[in-house]
Amino acid sequence: MNNRFTRRQGLKLLGVGLAASMLPSWSLLAASNQNRLYKRYSSSDKTLPVIGLGTWRTFNVGSDPQLMNARAEVVKAFFELGGGMIDSSPMYGSAPDVMGHALNKLGTPDTLFSAEKVWSPAGGSAHQQVAELKSRWQLDYFDLVQVHNLTDWQEHLAALMKMKAEGRIGYVGITTSHGRRHQDFEQIMASEAIDFVQLSYSINQRAVENRLLPLAQEKGIAVIANRPFEGGRLIQDLKRRNTALPEWAEAECGCTSWAEFLLKFIVSHPAVTCAIPATTRVEHLRENMRAGLSPMPSASTREKMVRYIESL
Amino acid sequence: MNDWSSYQLQDFIPFSVDIYLRLLERLNENFWPLQILTLALGIAALWLVARHHSRWLCLLLALIWAFVGYGFFIQHYAELNWAGGNIGYFFFTQSFLLLLVAFSGASVDKSIVKQHVLTNLSVVIGWAIGLAGLIALPLLSVMIGHTWTQAEIFGIHADPTAITSLGFVLILFSGWRLWLLALIPALWLLISALTWTVLGTSWSLVLFSVLATVLLGLLCKSVGGWMVKQDQFI
Repeated sequence: MNNRFTRRQGLKLLGVGLAASMLPSWSLLAASNQNRLYKRYSSSDKTLPVIGLGTWRTFNVGSDPQLMNARAEVVKAFFELGGGMIDSSPMYGSAPDVMGHALNKLGTPDTLFSAEKVWSPAGGSAHQQVAELKSRWQLDYFDLVQVHNLTDWQEHLAALMKMKAEGRIGYVGITTSHGRRHQDFEQIMASEAIDFVQLSYSINQRAVENRLLPLAQEKGIAVIANRPFEGGRLIQDLKRRNTALPEWAEAECGCTSWAEFLLKFIVSHPAVTCAIPATTRVEHLRENMRAGLSPMPSASTREKMVRYIESL
Repeated sequence: MNDWSSYQLQDFIPFSVDIYLRLLERLNENFWPLQILTLALGIAALWLVARHHSRWLCLLLALIWAFVGYGFFIQHYAELNWAGGNIGYFFFTQSFLLLLVAFSGASVDKSIVKQHVLTNLSVVIGWAIGLAGLIALPLLSVMIGHTWTQAEIFGIHADPTAITSLGFVLILFSGWRLWLLALIPALWLLISALTWTVLGTSWSLVLFSVLATVLLGLLCKSVGGWMVKQDQFI
């Protein structure tokens, strides 16, 4: 085998490298895992699939064995389709216990990126909450712990930073939803060394595009988009009105369902690392996960998507 | 700082409609065949109301409210909603208030009930609400798409217990006792209607309609009683 590296080959490689560097970061990884798209986070080489899994309202099923097993099936399908981030909170009732049940049943794959939160009304210090949540998830380590809705954020953030420094958790973040407290959020993003932010972003709710997303890009903070379907209302409205998906959606960004359309709009924003749609049904999860496959909409297609939704 | 003002109604309903319907179903599964007994107690309560046995009615309802406070809220609903346990204690409080009224020696003022058109109207509303909670609403819930196994039953689930109780106290009591015994059931009905609103189902409209009718009945009873008293002074 001839291992000589010719000048022509070198120039070709340089050309490919230059072209690749001009593309968004997810494009570089699109070829792997059957076109599943990943994005880098926290100024590291580590990557996350662009579609994660939320648990708000959907995984809070109490101790009902029937629903706990049904949710374990959703988690199983998520992992089978290469899913990474699963996000929960002590505010979400029994969701952390249901995750523990699912992981106990399915095992914990290396691809899992476990994201939890500390939330003052749940009671106890950040240390106590994280310890309890680890026990409920049946995990020894959380990849990410966030301060939920900025409750007592100074105290909690300091505790989480210490836990990160001690190697007890991977990354630290803050969350908001429904467009709440964006000014405070921005100040914390500007002044604190956080790794992740979680905020509400959808095709109809784009206020974060003005300041928070550009700031996240500037500071190298990873962004998790929650409420991508606005609690399901967006999709329900589109389906109730029997609105057809525009023909160009499949040609320009491979969308075959409204779920893909709405999710691809979100995760194709350069600042967004991943979206975390929640679902109770495996078929909906599969639909959501298809939004994590290339091709993604270009900047001009994203504008077209907004115009189309606004015209309805 | 816990900035509660930044929270919205939907933050306090951390489950979806299918999970809540499954909770209603699980209660029926877990307590079967207790439904037969609680419905029999509901019919017994109807008889007590018809015979104006207010003390025995209060004692029976006190038992039912304590059971629903534990069985519905603390044992089941609290698993889904961190506020569920606290609501259970409100149901215990209602049970205590019913006992208090039962042992306070208060009984219905039959003369007021029969004297004014408004108080008579409130009694008619009370019967309609009481029968609706006991019989009509479980049937209506099935008609709008819930399954039979999800039907809410007096003495097992919170909504029919609150609605039926509101109807019965509207028939039998007046003055401060009426308002005292109506407060917690009406508040729960409001919470429940808001819950169904967040869950995005039309069942909330049924509950809001019941609540509005109850409030009308309470006002009729109070205004009617006040007018009778005014007439007595003339």
